[in-house]
Formats: sequence, C-alpha cells, structure tokens
Amino acid sequence: MKFLIVLASALVSFGGSLAAEDNGIAWLGDYREALRQARETRKPIFMEFRCEA
Amino acid sequence: MLSPKDSPLGKQLSQYVCLRITRMDESNVALFERDWINTLYFFILNADEQIYMRYGGRDSASADTYLDLDSLELATRQGLALHQRYLKGAYQPAAEPPKPLYPREIPLLVQRTLAQHACVECHLIGDFQNIQRERDGTLDKLTHLFHSPDIKTLGIYLDVPKGLVVKDAQAAVQAAGMKPGDRVAALDGTPVWTFGDLQYRYDKVDRRAQRVKISVDRGGAPVELTVALPERWWWTDLRYRQSSVDPRLDFEDRPLTAAEKQKFGLKPDGFASQVKYVAEFAKIRKTHELRAGDIVFGVDGVERDALANTAELFIKLRKKAGDSVTLDVLREGQRIQMPLKTYVLSFRK
Repeated sequence: MKFLIVLASALVSFGGSLAAEDNGIAWLGDYREALRQARETRKPIFMEFRCEA
Repeated sequence: MLSPKDSPLGKQLSQYVCLRITRMDESNVALFERDWINTLYFFILNADEQIYMRYGGRDSASADTYLDLDSLELATRQGLALHQRYLKGAYQPAAEPPKPLYPREIPLLVQRTLAQHACVECHLIGDFQNIQRERDGTLDKLTHLFHSPDIKTLGIYLDVPKGLVVKDAQAAVQAAGMKPGDRVAALDGTPVWTFGDLQYRYDKVDRRAQRVKISVDRGGAPVELTVALPERWWWTDLRYRQSSVDPRLDFEDRPLTAAEKQKFGLKPDGFASQVKYVAEFAKIRKTHELRAGDIVFGVDGVERDALANTAELFIKLRKKAGDSVTLDVLREGQRIQMPLKTYVLSFRK
C-alpha cells in the first residue's frame, strides 16, 4: 500500500481538467486530445487510471 | 517527489503524452479492461489505440506487492523501445481491439451510478458486470469470481524491481524447468513485459486448462516451458474483494487432511472442512450458528464436488447469494444438521 500512497501523492491530481502541470510534466485529462497529441508528436501515451483524490 | 522532470522516471515520462483518467464514465472498458479491483493502473499505448503493455495489479496480500518505482521506470523504458520499433514497422501489438464497451452500456451500472450522477468507481464496473452476468446466465464463477489467479500458486516469485525477472522458481514452474534469473517473456505465446501483463494474460487462461506455456529469456536465449497447472490453480483468497464476493457466508474454513477424514469416518474424496473463523456478522445477520472447530462435511446432502475442497468453496461455487442450505456438521463428535442462509449485499439486490 505504501507505494500506492507515495505514488498517488507524487503524481498530483488535478481535478480532471484538460491539462495540468505536475513537476514539469504535463498531464492531459482528455482521452481524445491525448490521441491527437500522440499522433501529432509521434509519442506513445502513458495512461493512468486512478480514483479522484 | 517521485517524478520530477530530471528524475529517471520523469525523463521517461517526458517522452510520452501523459494522460490521467479519474472518471470512468467515458472510458472504453473493453479496451482498457483489467481486474477492476485495482484503483491505480497504467497502460502504455500508441495513437492507434494499440496497447503495448500494462502496469499494475496486486495479490491478496497487498495492493503493492508487485509495484515499485524501479519496475515502473523499467516499464516506461520498455514502452518507449517498443514504440520506436512500432514506428519503424518492426513491431505489431498482438491482439485485435475488442468491441468497444462503455459504462453507459451496462444497464445496472447506469441504474446505480450514472443515473444518480454518482462516480463510476472502478470496482463497481467489475461488480455490476458480474451481477449482470449472473442475471444473464453467463457468469463463470471460476473466471469472474476468482479473478487474477496468484502466480505464486505456480511457484513464480518475481524480483519485483527487475520486472519479470524470476527471483525464485518453485513447485510447478520449477518442475517445468524455470530457474532463478529467467525473465518471463510470454504466456501462451503472448508477449508480456510487466507483472500487469503477466497477471492479465494468466487471468485469461481457461480455468479448465491443465497446462500453460511460458516462454522465458535465459541469458538472451528463449526457452519454452510447459507448466502443468496444479489442482485449483485459479483459487485466490477473496477477502480483499469486499464487495465482489458472492455469496457471503460469514465463516472461513480449511480442508481436512486425509488422516482427519479417516479419523472422523468421513469420505476420503469429500470436501469436509473445519471452520476456523466465524464473523461477528453471522450473529447479526443470523446467517448460521457455526462455531470455530465445527467440521462441515455436507451441504444439502452433497459431500463431494469435482472442484471444491471445502464446504465454503462448494457453497461459493454452487449456490447463489440469498440461497438457504442445510449443513451436515460434526460438533464434538455429534452429527447435527444446521441451516445456513447466505447473505446478499444490499447493493446487489
């Protein structure tokens, strides 16, 4: 459980908005937008599912 | 903080489009299917919605037995490598995408959550899918109740920070030739990169199967192993699935040994078991009057079952929540009969 708590507090939640900064890493909250950006940048997607904090 | 941009994990994540989903309402739960008991879970995929790998999963002992930052960083590194190969046309994720399924298409989930503007909690997806399956007659308890079989039952003990590197190989996998230091690379022909992948693929094995093929990487060379699945390999401790366990019995038991069965004059191939714990709820709900130490050797006159090795498992597999049964009990040398009414959680009614 310790890892989950630490990780959950580290990857700070942002209330489901379109995008948020977390330690300099931008997190999107919209799936379609993530697909669009991944296509445009040719990057893969790192997708996190978690409960709302 | 764990993931500043200049940390190893942060450097990996900066090469991704990072996406965080906190509400399941609009998520394709067929594509992003997992064991819904997990509240934190990750996927690495591409813009064509092809999944490279999963990261997450747990066992009955703890929610983070298999999760740590080293293995997460390893997964993100492997994900980037797979993506580069994919862009060059050198790698194709295996499976065809499943037919999409959204929470709004699961009637009970709509009725109990969406229609009430409540959050579609991950575990509710699994719970209501099971209730719906039970109503539709498609519930397979071995698969849907005993979700995510434990790889330790096969004898696989992982060196967690190193992903799928085997720390110790015992029991069935040892007999099949697995060795410490091997890296599990595929299960039944499907590549696996993380514990999440391995657990997901292992969960897909037909519960009636007798063997599973595991490919390992041994010093850079592939080795194919055929592992004989032990009896009840699918069994897991369900206690952490508080709302998924159905029916509720308010007692726990252990199988009697062959010597104990002989001593008590019980069938050697029966599911006789000894009660080791009775929940306080048994009195409140008037479920039964079992006591720790009682031996339950029959349920509705049945004493043997092809799958169950305890009375508790027999009832869980063969009865529905709310069913009433008659137990054959051995208490202090006396054979008695006792009613038991299984309990139904209120949200299941």
